[in-house]
Amino acid sequence: MPRTDAPPAADRSPAAALAARVAALRAGDRATLARAITEIENELPSAPALHAALREHAGHAHVVGITGPPGAGKSTLINALVTELARRGKRVAVAAVDPSSPVTGGAVLGDRVRMDIGIADNVFIRSLASRGHGGGLARTTPRVVDVLDAAGFDTIVVETVGAGQSDVDIAAFADTSIVVSPPGLGDGIQAIKAGILEIADILVVTKADTPNATRTERDLLDMLRLRARKEGWRVPVLCTSATTGDGIAKLADTLDEHARAAGIGRRVQRTKDPAVTPLPADRNEALRILASRDAFVRHCGIEFVSGGAGRAAVRMRVGHEHLNFNGTCHGGAIFTLADTAFGLASNSHGVIAAGIDAHATFHTAVRAGDVLVAQATEASRGRRTAIYRVDVLRDADLVATFTGTVYVTTRGHA
Amino acid sequence: MPDPAFRPKVLITKIGLDGHDRGSRIVAAHLRDAGVEVVYTPPWQDIGTVVKLAIEEDVDLIGVSSLATDHLIVPKLMRALRDAGAGDVAVIVGGIVPDADEKMLLDAGVARVFHPGVKLEDIAAYVHDASATVRTQRFPVTPNA
Repeated sequence: MPRTDAPPAADRSPAAALAARVAALRAGDRATLARAITEIENELPSAPALHAALREHAGHAHVVGITGPPGAGKSTLINALVTELARRGKRVAVAAVDPSSPVTGGAVLGDRVRMDIGIADNVFIRSLASRGHGGGLARTTPRVVDVLDAAGFDTIVVETVGAGQSDVDIAAFADTSIVVSPPGLGDGIQAIKAGILEIADILVVTKADTPNATRTERDLLDMLRLRARKEGWRVPVLCTSATTGDGIAKLADTLDEHARAAGIGRRVQRTKDPAVTPLPADRNEALRILASRDAFVRHCGIEFVSGGAGRAAVRMRVGHEHLNFNGTCHGGAIFTLADTAFGLASNSHGVIAAGIDAHATFHTAVRAGDVLVAQATEASRGRRTAIYRVDVLRDADLVATFTGTVYVTTRGHA
Repeated sequence: MPDPAFRPKVLITKIGLDGHDRGSRIVAAHLRDAGVEVVYTPPWQDIGTVVKLAIEEDVDLIGVSSLATDHLIVPKLMRALRDAGAGDVAVIVGGIVPDADEKMLLDAGVARVFHPGVKLEDIAAYVHDASATVRTQRFPVTPNA
């Protein structure tokens, strides 16, 4: 059943529809916000334009990252902290990242189990699966945070998957990073001291009502003494107990102090990472960028020539590294060149296309020094599959012909 | 051919006063193993919470587990979802549901009722299909300009 509150799409131009969604999201409509996050998280074709429109309004929220080993009490701490922030009149969003199964891609997102503050009107919680991305976050999490930021939340808390020495992504975009350590885990401290301790702006010892909390606090203070201080900020060690409520108000105060000392919204001012900048509308430029992101294409010395809707051309000068044991160009090198043109042409429509079948015929030998050009054209394109023909040419000579089939997805490129 | 990258996002929950959550845990774990992203809640959720959660998480489908007559308040949930503008989410019920009540649930808008003895694979296949239908309605594939 279609949503009754959504006006028919035909009534509006795409630009007006986008503007209306941005306005609704910024006016606090939860359903609009939630759906925008789905769109960004699943990297739908319309996501880059939506993200760009929303990012204009981002940079005003205090983004707080919370990381720590599994079982440290992150979700419980967040529930207590968010309750305190909401009590102080703040609008708070939580993005809770849980691991996806590396085998099936499925996930159980259970952080909400411990967040009963989620029922409050000024609190918005969204669970996200990590979807195979390392670093404690999903690949799209920074963009999801931009969406929450544009929606006008005062504080956005990002809870990350477990914590290991490589889980430091959070520090790249959080204004304040909290590293959580439970008491009594000597090994837990060992695990964090080399990797994520450095990113902490605030260290928290959870479960402070249990034995060993004081010992853990002392260990952390000892470690802090051994390293250089962060510029203009002395990293505090706070003991909290979600059971008794001890230390939670102090943590909220300290967050405010850090925001004042370090500023907020730094990630928005920072130069954009070219890997996550939305592709331009111009297809020739979009394909040039896609080709530049392809490690194998770079490795093989293949250059982008031109591209458009359903077509692409690429070039390769055959070097000695491309030769086989007979001293002629390896068929795999020619295939790779043709496959590159095929891949770009099939990905020229703004959605990801994945190759499922390809075939090549070689007509003549190619020598070192020859320059080959592969030209891909679209033979047919349906809703689910599309077929491409590629000619590989040396000047006017046809060197190889290639045909390939792709499966067409509904997801856009990052 | 299903899109291999499609990840259904579903909510598995229990409403009402019954705390028998073994069934919902088994189903949640099986769905995870079938490639589904499952938001899981403990039992005893009230209807307002489920509605808020379904909207914020933007789930494609809600699975309500019921052993001891909690299915009787599912029509109330259906109404609350519609009132909140979330009437497009698919709702399934699993557990002990007498035949006479099944019709009442379907009339209230429940998409499907699963009874004891159903294969977990069948639940997962249904969840995939129903979620894909809801998601496609929410995000129709538009040809690129």
